[in-house]
Order: sequence, then C-alpha cells, then structure tokens
Amino acid sequence: MSQPENNTSKMSRRDFVKTNAIAATATAAGITIPGIKETLAASQASSDKIRWDKAPCRFCGTGCSVLVGTQGGKIVATQGDPDAPVNKGLNCIKGYFLSKIMYGKDRLTKPLLRKTNGQYDKEGEFTEVSWDEAFDIMAVKWKEAMKNDMAANVGKPADKLTSTVGMFGSGQWTIFEGYAASKLMKAGFRSNHIDPNARHCMASAVGGFMRAFGSDEPMGCYDDLEHADAFVLWGSNMAEMHPILWTRITDTRLTKPGCEVHVLSTFEHRCFDLGDNNMVFTPQTDLAILNYIANYIVQNKAYDENFINKHTNFKKTPTDIGYGLRPEHELEKKKTGTGGKLSSITFEEYAKSIKGYTLDYAHEISGVPKANLLRLAKLYADPTKKITSLWTMGFNQHTRGVWANGLIYNVHLLTGKISQPGNGPFSLTGQPSACGTAREVGTFSHRLPADYVVKKKEHRDLAEKIWELPEGTIPGKPGYHAVLQNRMLKDSKLNVYWVMCNNNVQAAANLNEETMPGYRNPDNFIVTSDPYPTVTAMASDLILPTAMWTEKEGAYGNAERRTQFWRQQVNAPGEAKSDLWQLMEFSKRFKVEDVWPTDLIAKSPQYKGKTLFNVLFENGFVNQFKQQVVTDDRGNTYANDEMEAFGFYPQKGLFEEYRRFQQEGPKKGHEQAPFDTYHKVRGLRWPVINGKETLWRYAEGYDPYVKKGEGIRFYGNKDGRANIITAPYEAAAESPDKEYDLWLSTGRVLEHWHSGSMTRRVPELYRAFPDAVVFMHPDDAKKRGLRRGMTAKIISRRGEVECMVETRGRNRPPVGLVFVPWFDAGRLINKVTLDATDPLSKETDYKKCAIKIEKVA
Amino acid sequence: MSECSVDEYNVCGVLVHAHNDQLDQVKKLLEQQDGVEVHAVTENGRLIVTVENNKRKTVGDRIMGFYEVPGVLSAAMIYQYSDNDLDVDELEIDSAKPKNIKPNKTNPSEIETSKVRMSA
Repeated sequence: MSQPENNTSKMSRRDFVKTNAIAATATAAGITIPGIKETLAASQASSDKIRWDKAPCRFCGTGCSVLVGTQGGKIVATQGDPDAPVNKGLNCIKGYFLSKIMYGKDRLTKPLLRKTNGQYDKEGEFTEVSWDEAFDIMAVKWKEAMKNDMAANVGKPADKLTSTVGMFGSGQWTIFEGYAASKLMKAGFRSNHIDPNARHCMASAVGGFMRAFGSDEPMGCYDDLEHADAFVLWGSNMAEMHPILWTRITDTRLTKPGCEVHVLSTFEHRCFDLGDNNMVFTPQTDLAILNYIANYIVQNKAYDENFINKHTNFKKTPTDIGYGLRPEHELEKKKTGTGGKLSSITFEEYAKSIKGYTLDYAHEISGVPKANLLRLAKLYADPTKKITSLWTMGFNQHTRGVWANGLIYNVHLLTGKISQPGNGPFSLTGQPSACGTAREVGTFSHRLPADYVVKKKEHRDLAEKIWELPEGTIPGKPGYHAVLQNRMLKDSKLNVYWVMCNNNVQAAANLNEETMPGYRNPDNFIVTSDPYPTVTAMASDLILPTAMWTEKEGAYGNAERRTQFWRQQVNAPGEAKSDLWQLMEFSKRFKVEDVWPTDLIAKSPQYKGKTLFNVLFENGFVNQFKQQVVTDDRGNTYANDEMEAFGFYPQKGLFEEYRRFQQEGPKKGHEQAPFDTYHKVRGLRWPVINGKETLWRYAEGYDPYVKKGEGIRFYGNKDGRANIITAPYEAAAESPDKEYDLWLSTGRVLEHWHSGSMTRRVPELYRAFPDAVVFMHPDDAKKRGLRRGMTAKIISRRGEVECMVETRGRNRPPVGLVFVPWFDAGRLINKVTLDATDPLSKETDYKKCAIKIEKVA
Repeated sequence: MSECSVDEYNVCGVLVHAHNDQLDQVKKLLEQQDGVEVHAVTENGRLIVTVENNKRKTVGDRIMGFYEVPGVLSAAMIYQYSDNDLDVDELEIDSAKPKNIKPNKTNPSEIETSKVRMSA
C-alpha cells in the first residue's frame, strides 16, 4: 500500500479504514508495520460517530467476542475483539458479516395469524394482527389445553402429572430467556415438555459427562489449544465449523516443534490439509477404533496405574439398547437391553471386555490402514505427549453417542491425561449458548437449573423453595424430548406448542413422516417466534416477530464454560419483541386459577387471584432490581426495552435468581459471578469463586474445590472418582443394503450457520454457497450416469430431495458415502434423514442413514 | 435474496495461515487477485492481507476464494468496514490539530483499540 501521509489536510476515509484493517491484522499476528500507527492516531476523530461495544458472536459455540459498531441506530461494522481471550481479535467469515444478519429484507415486524374471513383458521392465510390479538388467541388455546390437563390430573401425585402444553427452545436463547422459559413451563404451566434444539447437538455430550464425571461440561478450556503437543479430531470438521479455534490449532501446529494433528472422519474435509495422520473410517466404527486404542493401552501396560487406582471406577452399561425409534419399529422390537444403568466391574473384567478390539479387527471393521491406527494408539500411549481430543457432531449425533463420548473419556482416564493444561478430552459446542443456556438453566425436559433434575424430589423441593412455589408444583416426570415432541404432536398428545429461537421443521429428521403431520394436525395450535419467515414459521398457525442478538440485552455461555454478556445496541424493527418480553408478557394472561388446581393454590393462598407474571417474575426477588440507566465506562448509555416495559431490570433479576441454585443447593462447582461483573469483563469461566475463574476443573492448583494434596478430584461424583465405562461396537440403525446402497451424512458448511435463516440473508454468504449440493466420489457419480453439476435425486425410505452433484472441492467422500449440508430451505435433506436416536441421550443420528441416488432425467 | 450494492466500499484485514514451505507460493497467488494485498509475511506461516471490493467482486466473495488457494490452511478476518456513503463523504483531518497525533505510542494494539477498549 502507499505510505500514509499525516500532514495532508484531507485523508480519504477509504485510506483510513484500510489502514485500520492492516493495523488490526498485524496486531493479531503479533507484528508491527511501520507507519500504520501514526496514521491511525491521526484519524481517530473520524470514528467518533461510531459507538463501539462488545458482544459475543451470534453463531457457533466458540463464543468469539466482537466489537459492534453502531451509528445512527444501525449496526454498521463489526470486528474481532482484540481484548477477547477466545478469538484475540479474529473473526470467521460469518462473524465478519454479523452486522448484516439483522437487516434481511423479509424481517418480520408484526405478528401473523392464519385467518379466513377475519377469524383464526388453521387452513387460513397469514394475516397481520396486533400483539393483543396474538396473545388473546394463544391464551384461549393454552387455557383450553390446561383445563383438560387439570381434569386428567385430578388426584395424581407430582410424578404422575401429564400435560398437553409444549415448548421447543434453543441453545441460542439468552441465559435470561432460557431461565424464564423453563420457569414459565415447569412452574407456571406445570409441564416438563420443554426441550431445547440443543437436544439435536449436545445431549450425547451431556450424557457422557454425567455418566463419567457426575457434572456437565468440559474440564479443560481453550488454553489447551496452545498447551497441547497433539490434537486428535474425532468427528469434527473444525476448519469449517469452529474456524477461529482451528486458526489457533493451526498456529500451534505451525509454531510448536513436534506438534501433530490427527484427523478422523467418515470423509475427507478441510482439516485434512493440516493433518499429519488422516483417517477415513466406515461410519459407526469409531466405537471400535476407540476400544482398540484402550485395548492397546491396556495390552502394552501404558496406563497410569496410580491414577486409575486413585481416581477411577470401572463400570459396564447395558447393551443392545435399540435405536430410539417408535416402539412399534422392527428395530425396537428386536432389542434385548434397555437404558444405561451402570454396574461395577474390575479392571480385569474391563480389560477382558475390550480384548477383542485388536489392530486387525479395528482395521478390518473401520477400513483405516493399520499404520495409521497404530500411530494414533502410540500417540495416546506416549506418556510424554500432551493430547487434546476434540469432537462435535460426529460423536454426538450418533445412535451410541453417549457411549462414544464415554469411550474417549476412557482413553484419557486410563492414561491420566485429563484436567491438565494441554491434556484433556474437549467436547466442542455447536450453538452460542448450548452450554450457558440450554444445558445450564434447565431447559431440557428432564432438568432444572444448575444440573438439578425433575425426577428427584429433593431437587424439585429446592426449585420450589427458591421460586416460592407450593410444594408439588413442579411435575416429577421428565417431559417429552425433542424427537418425542414431534411424535406426540402427530399423535395429538401435545396440543399447544411454542417454538422459539430455532428452525426445527428444517432441523428435525424425518420431516414427511413425523414433523409436518404434527404441525399441521388439526388438533394442535403451533406458535413460532422468529425474526424471519423460516420453514418452521410458515408451518405454524401464529408467527411472532422477534428481536434478535444485540436488539436486546443478553448473555451466552460458550463451550469452555465462559459466560459473556452484552448490552442492547439498537432497537428491533417494527413491533418485533425479544423472546424474554414475549415469555413474561404472555404470563400476564394467566391467573393461577387458570393453570393450577384448587388444592395446590390452597397451599399458597397468597397467590389467589394473582397472575403467573405476579408469581414468577414480580415475585419480590426478580423485580427487586429497579429500573436504571445502562451505561458503559466510556459514558455511553444503552436502551433496555424489557426494563422499560416491565419497570424493573428483568435480566438482572432472573440471573441473580438463577445464581441462587448455584449457591443454595447441595451441588457445588457451578458458581457464576454477580450480574454486574459480566458487563465489565470479556467473560469468565465457571466456577467463579471469589471473583476468580477456573481454567481446569478437578485439578489441584486450578480448581478451588480440590484440596491440597488431592491432586485430582472428580467431585461431581460422591466418591470423587470418574467412571471408565466399557461399551462395545454396535451397528448403526440403518446401513446401506442392495437397494439403498449409500451412506448419507449431513452437516454444515463454513458459510452458513445451521438452517441458514440468518446467513442466507447475507448476500455475500448466500452467493458463496447458494444451494445445498451432494458431495460424492466421482466413481459413485459415474456409476449412476452423473457428472459434476448435474442434478441428482437423493432417495431414502422416507423421502427424497434433488441436489446438484459436486465431486470436487472441500469435501471428498470415499466411495459409498455422500454428504449433504442442511442449511438450504429449498432442498430439505431432513425429508430423507432417519429419526433414529441414541436411546440414552435421545439425540438424533444425522450422520448415518441409507439412501440411493438417481439421475434426474 | 437481496443483492449487495457494488457501490459500497468494503475493506477487510485477513490473517492467513499456510504451511511454511508453501508461503511464497501462497503469497504470489493471493497477490494475483485484484484488490488483494499482502502486507507482511512472518515466519511460521502467517500472512497479513487486506482485501478490498471492486465492481466485480465483493470482499466476502474474495475471502471465500482464499480457501481454494493451494496451501492455505485457515483465513481469519480481523476488521470489517462497509459504508455506501464513503464515495461522497471525505474525512476531514485538520493538520493544525497535532494533539490528535500520538506518535509516541509504540504498541500498535494500544492505538488500534484505544477508542474501543473497555477496562476489565
């Protein structure tokens, strides 16, 4: 570039912004470019019109912090936040375009109700209505459902209660929204039929954590990405799905002598460009490879005997447990085991259980060359190597997902490579607050805030005490999980249903046979809150326009336990309102008499005649935080539309009430800092004790709950030990056969996030990857008379979809497997996918089903 | 889908990683692209790059294309600015106001973030 001139009277703003770009990039790379800094200093006045403030990115679970530039009530710029420990000033291509996601031309600005001749009609046309009319019809439908529920529940104890009221929430909800939704459903409407879309992405990870460690979420953190000597990717295409973490791994690999990267996947992808040991395995055989590594460690006595004796137990789990399909499905009738109840075994019994997983067997079943498998096993067995194992949907979206998560813990526990800088298994997250919201505040159908569960009476007692509810308010039976919700809608067991902050009609597997019949079932009333007219919104009966991201004050928790807050930067368009406003405002429509039986109200007579808003939100605790001006330390002030609407600071009140679960219950180790702290910092990793965050849990010197001399203590379990749980290889629910002769794997691409409802509205991202394609091997294409660029029909036993064939580029599947991304609302691959789930986590396996491909004439 | 106005000025800083033995080649291939400049190459595989749009291609389109360049392992964006008023709205810098110039600052990160830095 030309040398900047400081003494000219005019400098083009283009030169200025370009100079800014160079300086910021150089800073991120840790170098200085001469002449840049003076120019910047000289031109600082130019940016006075832009107000900058921090916010976590709206997309994936990495949790990058971005600086959001606002001018004239509009977000005009975003840049990676140089002060953020997560991304150190970097941003991926989606984060780079964040400023454009709110400004799609088809933003929803008014509630829309299906009507014919001015009346609600399930078969009617979407018609603009007021919020009053929208909530009126919703309240009528909800009250009718709960009247029926109350009649059905007469005389039943808490753990036998049923409900026809459901909600499908999100790992993209703010912490406050998830907490308010969970409270409204479980306490207000007395229904546990609330589940987040995180069921589709993280439920197997949760199951793995709870079974092994008795406490959810990783022990390590992103600092491991610089501390490790080796990285192993198990079913995670980080180069596209977690690009900033991948940049950090790339940097470590290129700068640290001896550092190596091992990549396992069912097809070649961009991570293979950096990989030192690349392995393509036959779908589902990751279970066998994991057991082979454990067996290698045992056979070669490479385990850490002292660690095993002091810190672990050996367990086994029931096998042949089915595939989470409807009970009448052939596969479910054939199963011989159920559930996941663990029983104790000895080390010798464990060793015997994995003895058959030899190098020969692992090679045979997986198709991975022996040399590669051996190299991987030797890496884990090497006591001098610090290893970070990473995975996302490859393990989680798996009919044995909880097992797969457990089997990698086995490897790390056998070798003692855990809870130390650079050493540890790390479950990556797909959504910005799958951890902070979906998992932590109790939005799962079986959970309460802070890892408590509905089925334990003492946990419900704790929630009822903090929420000041009559004893027996919260139902004790886990509710319908995500996949079951769609089945129950179809079967008319769920009748009123609120979908918030997700696009499940595009996400849930088996659209034709389960989802669509459920949404369009005449017995049901379906409401979707969304900023855009997604396929889910269009399949509903009422659409509520929603404020998004920095149009409201918010908080997310990322994959490394980091809680991050942001302030409201701009106003939502038209009449769009945040999910938090919607949940709280709707609660005003219900008197306790509408939703609770008289015997329950009799236990708390002070609630007679009160609304759910009075009981849940204006309860003396949440509303104790008075209306205030939101400011930063640079003198800027910010709006808070919910505080304006309710006359108190609901985000603060809800967060402080949620913190009481962390402080007042028997479970320790989940503590967060007070609300105000998070507006000042770039996030903190819980547990936060005396203002100090925790980088490595369970380890002495890092985790304040581990006493001096203990070394390691897995205190989530009562005996302080982690469980090594043996589990075998079992086949996938549906494998290719003579007719349906190919594996189908689905997933994402770099340019689009999830169903594309935000990223497809950014012109650059849309153009970069406009339509879903089917990535396939050229030989597989040729065999079917297809070539790159031709249209193929992808057919399963459940449905079909047409896509263009791609035989080159970023994804290179082996013969026998194809990959189709799911972001494209015009090519819904979930018509094809199978709703087989892990029977333990209830998470769908989106990575494996059998299909055939035909040429479209 | 809406189309992006090509009259908008966009610029972006990009940190590109490449294998050390392919750095020169990657630099050459990136520089061949119109609107792409490589400002520095460090040892250990880092390239400091800026990308500007022109009438034919936007910044986003170009960056997405980086992944197709052989040897590129990752590309992370640092700074984005887009404004369709830039063509007509020239920035005034008055040279008579030296107090705006702080040549003594030595740490580029301090200068870059001083207007946006928040105390922890």
